Amino acid sequence: MKRLVSLLGACLALFAGSAAAATPGVTADQIRVATIQDLSGPIAILGAPIRDGMVMRFDEENERGGVHGRKLRIAVEDSGYDPKKAVLATRKLLQRDGVFAFLGDLGTPVVMATMPIIVGAGRPHLFPFSPHEATYQPLDPLKFQLFAPYQDYMSAAVQEMVRNNGYKRVGLLYQDDDYGLEVMKGVEAGLARLGQTLVEKTGYKRGATDFASQIARLRAAGCDFVVLATVVRETVGAVSEARKLGWNVDMLVTASGYSAQTHELGGKAMEGLYGVSVMPHPYPAGANERLGEWIERYRTRYDAEPNVWSVMGYNVADVFIRGLRGAGRDLTVASFVHAMENLSTTRDFFGGPAYHFSAQDHLGNRHGRLARIEGGKWVLISDYLK
Amino acid sequence: MKGSLLALVIGAAAIAVLGTSYALSQFAFVATWAIAGLGLSLILGQAGQISLGHGAFLGIGAYVEGALAVAGWPAWASFPLAVLVAAAAGWVAALPGRRLGGMAFAMSTLAIALLVEEALVRWEGLTRGAAGLAIPPLQLFGQTVSGPLGQFVVSALLLLVAYGCCRRWVGSRLGRAWRAVRDDEVAAAAVGIDCGALRSLAFVLGAGMAGLAGALYAHWLAYLSPEQFGLQLSFELLMLVFIGGVGRLSGAIWGAAVFVALPQLIALATDLLPARWAAASGTETMAFGVLIVLIILLRPGGIAGGRRQGRREAG
Amino acid sequence: MFAQVLTSGIATGCVYGLVALSFVLIYKATETVSFMQGELLMLGAFAALYVHEGLGWPLIAAAGAAVAGMFVFGALLERGVLRRAIGQPHLTALLLTFGLGMMLRGAVTMVPAASHEMHRLPLPFAGAHIGFGTVVVAGEHLVVIAATALLCLGLSLFFRLSRAGLALRACSENPRIAALMGVSVSGMHTLAWALGAALAACAGLLLAPMTFVFPGMGLIALKAFPAAVLGGMSSLPGALAGGLFLGVVEAIAGLYLPEGVKDATGYALLLLALLVFPRGLFASRRAP
Repeated sequence: MKRLVSLLGACLALFAGSAAAATPGVTADQIRVATIQDLSGPIAILGAPIRDGMVMRFDEENERGGVHGRKLRIAVEDSGYDPKKAVLATRKLLQRDGVFAFLGDLGTPVVMATMPIIVGAGRPHLFPFSPHEATYQPLDPLKFQLFAPYQDYMSAAVQEMVRNNGYKRVGLLYQDDDYGLEVMKGVEAGLARLGQTLVEKTGYKRGATDFASQIARLRAAGCDFVVLATVVRETVGAVSEARKLGWNVDMLVTASGYSAQTHELGGKAMEGLYGVSVMPHPYPAGANERLGEWIERYRTRYDAEPNVWSVMGYNVADVFIRGLRGAGRDLTVASFVHAMENLSTTRDFFGGPAYHFSAQDHLGNRHGRLARIEGGKWVLISDYLK
Repeated sequence: MKGSLLALVIGAAAIAVLGTSYALSQFAFVATWAIAGLGLSLILGQAGQISLGHGAFLGIGAYVEGALAVAGWPAWASFPLAVLVAAAAGWVAALPGRRLGGMAFAMSTLAIALLVEEALVRWEGLTRGAAGLAIPPLQLFGQTVSGPLGQFVVSALLLLVAYGCCRRWVGSRLGRAWRAVRDDEVAAAAVGIDCGALRSLAFVLGAGMAGLAGALYAHWLAYLSPEQFGLQLSFELLMLVFIGGVGRLSGAIWGAAVFVALPQLIALATDLLPARWAAASGTETMAFGVLIVLIILLRPGGIAGGRRQGRREAG
Repeated sequence: MFAQVLTSGIATGCVYGLVALSFVLIYKATETVSFMQGELLMLGAFAALYVHEGLGWPLIAAAGAAVAGMFVFGALLERGVLRRAIGQPHLTALLLTFGLGMMLRGAVTMVPAASHEMHRLPLPFAGAHIGFGTVVVAGEHLVVIAATALLCLGLSLFFRLSRAGLALRACSENPRIAALMGVSVSGMHTLAWALGAALAACAGLLLAPMTFVFPGMGLIALKAFPAAVLGGMSSLPGALAGGLFLGVVEAIAGLYLPEGVKDATGYALLLLALLVFPRGLFASRRAP
């Protein structure tokens, strides 16, 4: 049995070896990449705009003739947030489509289940939408991350808020999953720097509809500042519940709650809510010229309003294209990784952060900035907190 | 016989069309899911009980194996333990309903499943809770099983073993007793069959198999998080067995093929659609639903079912 | 504080209860567990949203149209698809609902406007609060509680007084005898699915101000299903009580119990209840 397995394994390795002679996914006039999104599962609301943003950036580049004469092709797979489906999709993309890299995969279970296969096959695993540390640490030549980790920027944001406003009793409402835990670590680390601890923390399960008990608990603990590790719907639910009781405590939500939907759905009750923004929302009103033109193009193309997730998808594709440009016409995984490790970007027309990568650090950005809902829209109130 | 030939042809065609590693990876998941389906098939098809919480036993098996593999246990020790723990959980889950069967049984399995999911989140020392647990590849006889081929070989062998066991059980006195309880509890009790004990036994065996499937799943996925083992998985497994055909053991394999491979085929097919349609988010879900409805309307007894004698419900 | 949390729990419980009611209504009449109640709920909310915002009907009319539309839709599903399951092993119908549910979810997701963002259904009183002493009740919670009470009253009158209601009850007690008495059993099946779909749509409308309208809102059915089971699966008041029980226990446990225990409490009590009342809290006392 053992011999049979190793024999067959050797055959397979041979196959793989012969295919690896040329860079997979790269031909004279084309580069194929892949993304695994959730288009039909619980976070499909994020998956669709992310995909649309990425595709839009790729098509733009293709219209200008592509990168070093190569057109970009992206294969989109829907995992429905099911890691089993994602693993199968990965095998397919690696084998049938022979893609060069995986870009902006969505969802921690999906990312964690597929990343070992992707990296094991020697393909770059780039900028996944997952807060898990393993996406950039320990350092692996093939793993790059673009998005600031919740731990880092929430620690900075909480410190900034507490220093400016002198809060004494900080509480936390968190979603009971990896996201909530990452935020909790960040908030606790930030408070520890100031010699404080969380006076109350209370969780909810994903899909919860009612936050009365959590808000009651936070209020009973006498919190004067509440951090929300919530997503849009829960942010609206929790803040509305507090305001309904007449509890006008200051609240700060992570970048997952920083969305135009928060004030669109929550209405007046959301006024004054603080949030952390990693990537600004593309508001048409007051947009600079390039942004306004971009919003218009997005609208006509997809018949929908762009949101912060579309911007992120666009950004993922954009940074990837910069990496490809740096790698030159002679594109291999090694030349791409080398180019990525020397990549520094400046602030773009969205007002997003500048990204820096190096051979020692594959995490492009660690910072977020504070924002506040004023007059029915998010207003940025600080620069990126370093 | 005809069925296995058909399966071989389908398998060969899949490898030819899809390519080796993609097809083998699918077979590995089909085989793994089929093992869980076999277990549920014993409970449903033989003992005539509905389990609404089978995903939980899969979760228990997966987490036991995962935690032991992380702790460096060899597979020959950890796999049996994973199966045993899952089987023990099955025994516990069967306790409230063993006397009554029917709805009480279904309800208690549902409650247990919900509690297990909660426990997986809470027992952070063992499961890392919601942060998820990364699992090393399976080590077997000094070899690392990480590629699709190895995964397929291991899953297929274990499926064969599981299938063989189930056939023996079903064909033996035990199987006849199960069916007697299923068809007429009063008559079965009258000839001295201990209905409660038999139900429990079906559940222990079924949960053990789910545990085995879970242990494999843990390695094939390399990452576990409690949300993967919620009610949705339980319902999916239930549907898998029904669609394959409750009365026959081979139904579990067909059902697994439908649930694992069909969405993949649909994904391949949608790539051929015009871009406008392929880009619409729900296309694949919708197509899967349509196919399920068609399969059921065309083969109400399940794919493997053929003409099946109607199963009478208790009560 | 206790009363405050309690009223929230009751409101949430009412929604669970309504969805549970729709499960039980269908189960009693057709012996089928419907796995598409969540999708019907979601579809009902989207229908109201479309009629209100797309066609510009006033909200009340839109809500009525959505519920009526879902009633017809439920009947059509029964006539067109589910009817074919009659005479087959009766789990066939359950499987069909599973497939139909996927189709519905897929179809709604295919509409870009539906899948790209969440929507608000501006129900009356949403956002308003009313104070009773120290307790502040959200307008939408009051609406939910009142609507649930009205719906239950309506249903119980329907089952007690109307011909169709009595016939439906007779059918679920014993279809064969009902048929002998001249009741059209297949007609009653259609009625049960229609009512079940309409009830789910009502739950969707009431849920809309709390969770907003999006393709995944049907997941609440995963919570309502245990509630229906707790009620014994065959008792309408039981389903409502089961929903209320789960909603209230969730809220109160969240207030007093430590992290890690609170989410499991409802289910632990469910299990306990099963041990003590193995046929569900409200199952009929008749021998099976």
